[in-house]
Amino acid sequence: MTGDLGVTDAFAGAGTVFRRELATVLRTPGYGVLGVGLLAVLWLLVAVGGGGATGFVPAVVDLLLPAELLVPLLAVVLGYRALLADAVSGEFAVIRTYPVGVAGYVVGVLLARLVALVAVIGLPFAVIGGYVWLTAAPDTGIFATHAGVDSPLLYVRFLALITLFGTVFLALSMWVSAAATSRRGAAALAVLAFLVGTLGGDLALIQSLMVGADPSAVAGRAALTPNGAFRGLVFETVIGVSFAQEGNVVDVGRAVGSLAGWTLFGSLASVGTLAFRERLSTVIERSRFRFAE
Amino acid sequence: MTEYSSTEATPDSESPSDGAEPDRVVVDDLTRTYGGVPVLDSVSLAFGSGLTAVIGPNGSGKSTLLGALAGTVPPITGEIRRPNAEDGSGKSIGYLPQQVPFREGFTARETLAFYARLVDGDPDAALASVGLSDAADKAVEDLSGGMQRLLGIAQAMLGDPPLVVLDEPASGLDPGMRERAFRTAATHATDDVTVVVSTHNLDLVDAHADRVVMLARGRVVAAGDLDALRNEYSVDTTAALYEAAGRDAALSETADDGDPARSGAAAEDEQNMSGDDGDRDVHVTGVSEQ
Repeated sequence: MTGDLGVTDAFAGAGTVFRRELATVLRTPGYGVLGVGLLAVLWLLVAVGGGGATGFVPAVVDLLLPAELLVPLLAVVLGYRALLADAVSGEFAVIRTYPVGVAGYVVGVLLARLVALVAVIGLPFAVIGGYVWLTAAPDTGIFATHAGVDSPLLYVRFLALITLFGTVFLALSMWVSAAATSRRGAAALAVLAFLVGTLGGDLALIQSLMVGADPSAVAGRAALTPNGAFRGLVFETVIGVSFAQEGNVVDVGRAVGSLAGWTLFGSLASVGTLAFRERLSTVIERSRFRFAE
Repeated sequence: MTEYSSTEATPDSESPSDGAEPDRVVVDDLTRTYGGVPVLDSVSLAFGSGLTAVIGPNGSGKSTLLGALAGTVPPITGEIRRPNAEDGSGKSIGYLPQQVPFREGFTARETLAFYARLVDGDPDAALASVGLSDAADKAVEDLSGGMQRLLGIAQAMLGDPPLVVLDEPASGLDPGMRERAFRTAATHATDDVTVVVSTHNLDLVDAHADRVVMLARGRVVAAGDLDALRNEYSVDTTAALYEAAGRDAALSETADDGDPARSGAAAEDEQNMSGDDGDRDVHVTGVSEQ
């Protein structure tokens, strides 16, 4: 079995796994339905907020809070069974007899699911941006170089942050799919990950303030959670640009690092869980056997 | 192939009747438990090139042994030595699990193409080797159970690995398909390739196997060259050998009635062996029922 592959071969087969996973995603009509559904919800939200004529930044303001819930939700839906499917069917055991490293397998699946995430989540947000472009007042066509000007560039930043935010939850849900041993277990873990990920950080922050934490440290701490980092970055780099040069919602560098770190953590945890789960159960079994002797 | 233990001759001392390498794959004192209950208990075997059939009652540990050979079931104690791939494909083991696991929504050709890309193989040639060329564009879920198994065999043999492990390749198939599955496996079992197959179809073992391993309660009760074993037990067929070896094993284990291995093996049976129509054909009183 190729479980003995060296570190240099760890990413072997990633491209082939990517192609297969992408084909799987493309043949799953449910993901298309999710994208259309998200587009309808986003359009309604913008319409309720005054329509596309209000401009890019007002649209971002309207979409920010829903995005904090919808993006993680859809990312989790895309990822929570991504690694589980092959494990449950037994095909992962077959794949491991080929020169495919666990890291390569996870990276291949993750990248294909990332393409799906861009299509299912990024595309509807981009379409809304196009709708605003077509219907907003003339000055929104100006690319912002200073504060106080609405601009498509700000919306592009928002799109980039949406994608990065979604990637965090995709990577974390992949970890869920690697850790789960059944579809029901994966669903339960996915719900837990979604709730902890979207609400846990804010609740922890509020709790810390209630017990007397320094309010000036909020900007730094908020950046540590995915939702806090995303929200802070949207305020600092999209909404805040139109109103003030210097914001203090979040530490931008720390927030970007936080989102990148959570993504890396989810990816590495997926690889580690997939690679060592069987070994761990064997170690436990071995201990039990020796204890019984 | 030779059964041995630490107190018996090593596999190097054996001389197989067909001149093939006697110890290409060596299982040394292998024990595997589930929930603390042994399913394989101190099994030592050496597999040479050619086709070896692993037989035994349900729950005797066949699937666990084959999983261990394929590297999907890590041993609790003991070790397994296998040959490395020599052609640079990087695939040293071909494996077909008991449940054919292929992803739905892909055609037979697409399924094999995925695996073939990993070892620079030819999916169409692999399909042709098992007679599935006409079904290449059929979705996996639309193939019959037999065709899915043949597809699994083709997958296992992609990349020409030196060790091929097929867990119940003939399970649930009609007689023609069973013959086709075994013939394909036997054709692949050359002097450079070890093919290990678990089965309940003892007539196919007679027709195609070079050697046989019989398991009962997680232990080896008979192992070796098929002709030599039939001579040793003074029987003409593998079915008769199965009964004779089973009787001997039952007698020798009378003192081990409290051995938990049986219940552990039975647990594996329930997990892995359900729905195998071959069970009705090979039922040995005293081994599976005691």
